[in-house]
Amino acid sequence: MKKLLQGNEAIVEGAIKAGIGFFAAYPITPASEIMHTMAKKNVEFVHAEDEIASISMVIGASLAGAKSMTSTSGPGMSLKQEGIGLAHMMEIPTVIVNVQRVGPSTGMPTLPSQADILQTKYGSHGDYYPIVFYPNSVEECYRYAIEAFNAAEESLSPVTLLSDGFIGHLYENIDIDNIDIKIVNRKREPFGKGNRHFTGLVSEYGIPKTKDPAYYRRWLKEMKEKIDNTAKNYNFHEYNKKENSDTLLIAYGITSRVIAPLKDKYSIFRPIRIFPILDNELIEAAKNHKNIVVIEMNDGQYKGEIEKLLKKDIHLIDIQGGSISLKEIECRLKQLGV
Amino acid sequence: MSYKDFLKLERFPTTWCPGCGIGLVMKAVAELFEELGFSREDTIVVSGIGCSGRAAGYFSLDTAHGLHGRALPLAEGIKRANRKLNVVVISGDGDLTGIGGNHLLHSSRRNIDLTVICINNETYGMTGGQMAPTTKKGIKTLTSPLGNEDEPINIQGIITAHTNHFYARCTIFHLDHMKNSIRKAIQHKGFSFVDTICDCITNYGKRQGFKTAYEMLMSYKDSYKINSTGERLADNEIGIVTNKEPEQEIKDGNQQD
Repeated sequence: MKKLLQGNEAIVEGAIKAGIGFFAAYPITPASEIMHTMAKKNVEFVHAEDEIASISMVIGASLAGAKSMTSTSGPGMSLKQEGIGLAHMMEIPTVIVNVQRVGPSTGMPTLPSQADILQTKYGSHGDYYPIVFYPNSVEECYRYAIEAFNAAEESLSPVTLLSDGFIGHLYENIDIDNIDIKIVNRKREPFGKGNRHFTGLVSEYGIPKTKDPAYYRRWLKEMKEKIDNTAKNYNFHEYNKKENSDTLLIAYGITSRVIAPLKDKYSIFRPIRIFPILDNELIEAAKNHKNIVVIEMNDGQYKGEIEKLLKKDIHLIDIQGGSISLKEIECRLKQLGV
Repeated sequence: MSYKDFLKLERFPTTWCPGCGIGLVMKAVAELFEELGFSREDTIVVSGIGCSGRAAGYFSLDTAHGLHGRALPLAEGIKRANRKLNVVVISGDGDLTGIGGNHLLHSSRRNIDLTVICINNETYGMTGGQMAPTTKKGIKTLTSPLGNEDEPINIQGIITAHTNHFYARCTIFHLDHMKNSIRKAIQHKGFSFVDTICDCITNYGKRQGFKTAYEMLMSYKDSYKINSTGERLADNEIGIVTNKEPEQEIKDGNQQD
C-alpha cells in the first residue's frame, strides 16, 4: 500500500525495518521529525540532554546488542564528532543521520544545504574511513536507512546517512511493502557474552598499544581495507550517459533531483555512496567527457574530492544560501559555456 | 567466581603510581562482585578517561572505556539496551563532574539504574595535576598557581536535589565503610553515586606537603568522621544519603529508570 511520507519519517521506517532497538537524539531543525516519529515507535528511545550524550548512548546500546541510531543536523553533527571517532576506534555498528542545514554555526536553521560533506568524512580527529550514503527521494530515505544499518553491521563501523532540509521535509508517496532489502544481522555477541575490553585507545585484543607505531600502521591499514571491502558491496550510484554529450554533471541529494530534467542534454552521474568515494565508477564515467561539472550546495567540498580522484581541473556550480532552482543552474551552465 | 576471576591479574602491575588508591577501590568492587554472586553474563564495567578511567580495562568482564566525560551516557546506552545487566561506572572526579557534568545532572535526574563510583582525588592526575572542579578553595595546582579561587563542586547537593537519590561519600582509609557504601549503591535500584575520596600522591599530595601516600591516608583518618544518621553530610563527614533504603525498594519492586 502506498503511503504519503516525509523523508525524515521514511528514515524511521527504514530503521524499524532494519531492526533498530535503540534511538537517542537531541532536537534540532530540520531533523527533529526523525525524533518525533521514532518516539511513537516501540523502540527504546531517549531524548538525551545533548548531542554528545546521544552518540555515546547509541555506542553503548550497540555494545549491549541493539541496533542503534541517532539523528541530527550540522551543529549537532559537530558535537558528535568525537563520539564518531570513538565508534570507529571501537568498531561500533551504528547509524548517524545528518539532515543538513546552512552553516557555519547556527547559520540558517530552516534552510537546506550540503555543506557537511567534508565534515562527514574528516570531522573527527585522526584518520578514519567512514561509509556515507546520501539518498535523493523519500523512497530512497527508506531504502538507504536500511542499507546504512546493513553496511554498519557488515563493516562494524558507524555509517552516516546524509540528507538535507529539502529531502528531509519532502513528502512523497512510497510503497514500503514492495521494497525488499535483505537485512544484515549483528555478528558480534552482545555485552555479557564475553571478556572483551572496548577502548578508544589504540589496542590489540583489549590491551592498550599506545607506544607502538608499527602496530598502529598495521591496524590503520587493516581498518581502511575493512571499510573499502565492505563498501564494495554498497556501490550505490546512478549513471545516465547521454550520447554525444561532452559534459558530465555530477550531483547528489537534492541537487541531483533538481538537475534531473537536464538528462536529455548532459550525462549525469549521481553518487549515492558519497564515501568511500566511488573511484572506479567516477573515473570510468569521466573518461569520455571533456567537461566535468560538479553541482552542489556548498563551496566545492565534493568537487575537491573528485578533483583529487580524477587529477584534473573540473568545474563547480556552487549553489549556496539554502535555495536552489533549475533556472539558476542552467544559467550557470551557460556561463561555463558547456 | 572469586574476586580474582573478575580481574585481569595478568595485566598487573597496573598503570597507576605507587601509593595510588585506585587499586583499593578496584579490589573492593571485585570483591563485591564475588560477594553479590555476579558473573560475566550480568556485569559490565564502564569508565571514562583519566587514571581512574583505566579501571575498566583491568576487569575480566565485557567492559568499555569511552570518551572523556561520557562514561555515563555510554553506560546508560548499555543499560537501556539490556536492563538485566549490572552496569557499574568507575571514573574520576574530573571526568564525571567536570567535562561530564551535564551527563551527571541528567543521568541522575532520569534515575537510570547505574552504580557510579567516582574516584575523587581532587585533581586531574593523569595530565599532571591541574585544578579539578573538586579541588578545595585555596589549593595551589598547575592551573591555580596562586591558589584555587573558587569553592569546589557540591556533588552531594547535585545528586540529592532529585527526589529519588543515593549519594555516598567514603574514603579509601575507611575500607569497610567504603565497601559497604559501594555494596548499598549496587543494591540500590536507580541511580547511585559513590563519592570515593582517594589520594593522588604523585601529582597532588606532594604539592600539598604530604611526603608519602601513607600520610595522605592518615589525613583521611583524621579529617573524616562517619555520619550514619542518613542526613546531609557535612564537608568532613562520610556516610550514605538516600531517600530510600535499598531493601524497601527491592520489596516494592519499584524499579525506576
